[in-house]
Amino acid sequence: MRAEARFFKSLADETWLKILWLLSGTEELCVCDVIDVLGITQSKASRHLRYLYHLGWVMDRRDGLWMNYRLTVTPGSPREKLLKLLTEMLAPQPEAQALRGQLARCLEAKRNTECAKRLKSSQKRSLQELLET
Amino acid sequence: MKNEAQLFKSLADETRLRILWLLMVKEELCVCDIMGVLRITQSKASRHLRYLYHLGWVTDRREGVWMNYRLSITPGSPEDKQLKLLADILHSQPEAQALRNRLEQWLAAKGQSQDAAACQCS
Repeated sequence: MRAEARFFKSLADETWLKILWLLSGTEELCVCDVIDVLGITQSKASRHLRYLYHLGWVMDRRDGLWMNYRLTVTPGSPREKLLKLLTEMLAPQPEAQALRGQLARCLEAKRNTECAKRLKSSQKRSLQELLET
Repeated sequence: MKNEAQLFKSLADETRLRILWLLMVKEELCVCDIMGVLRITQSKASRHLRYLYHLGWVTDRREGVWMNYRLSITPGSPEDKQLKLLADILHSQPEAQALRNRLEQWLAAKGQSQDAAACQCS
């Protein structure tokens, strides 16, 4: 039952849950989207995404400097059922809805700017916010 | 989302999965049953059961020196759905089947020595 325990463990971390939640609402995400929406560092985002990658939840696609990730879930598999359950649990939650909203804004902004530039400005923004408080 | 992560974390441990699986087979189990079937120490069994208790997966009932546990899951709740998914996954597994058999043997043996005090398993 070690494999099953590991399977559930992949949802035992708040950040993993959030990443899977974001991915379940869109086809593909760049690491920079995850950084931006969740407000975490690049190293943390990449580390979590690699973890999900090694557990078989996501697959990757390189695009220049950035890595993109999408869910790889076989229909009817336990993984798919677990994901369905997760989205069912999260959907009514304001926190989860807020994340989806943030992601939509982030993807909208991306249409106009490249990832790196946008990220720089968002980091500048959060630094400013930090200084102001 | 911390609560959801914690809920999934309760299933992220092999021993806790096994305990939940056993409780799905038999309505109520004594700590000594869990020790005997899973071949773990009393402290390990009790620790995991208390963990599940504090997260609301099980309720307890004291009987003499031993504690008994049963699932306390509201039908239709996220826990209920998680448990169903777990049962679904484990159902076809030889390891889970073996555990179920071991539990049945254990309970049968216990039933034969019924005249002794309820839990002289240790």
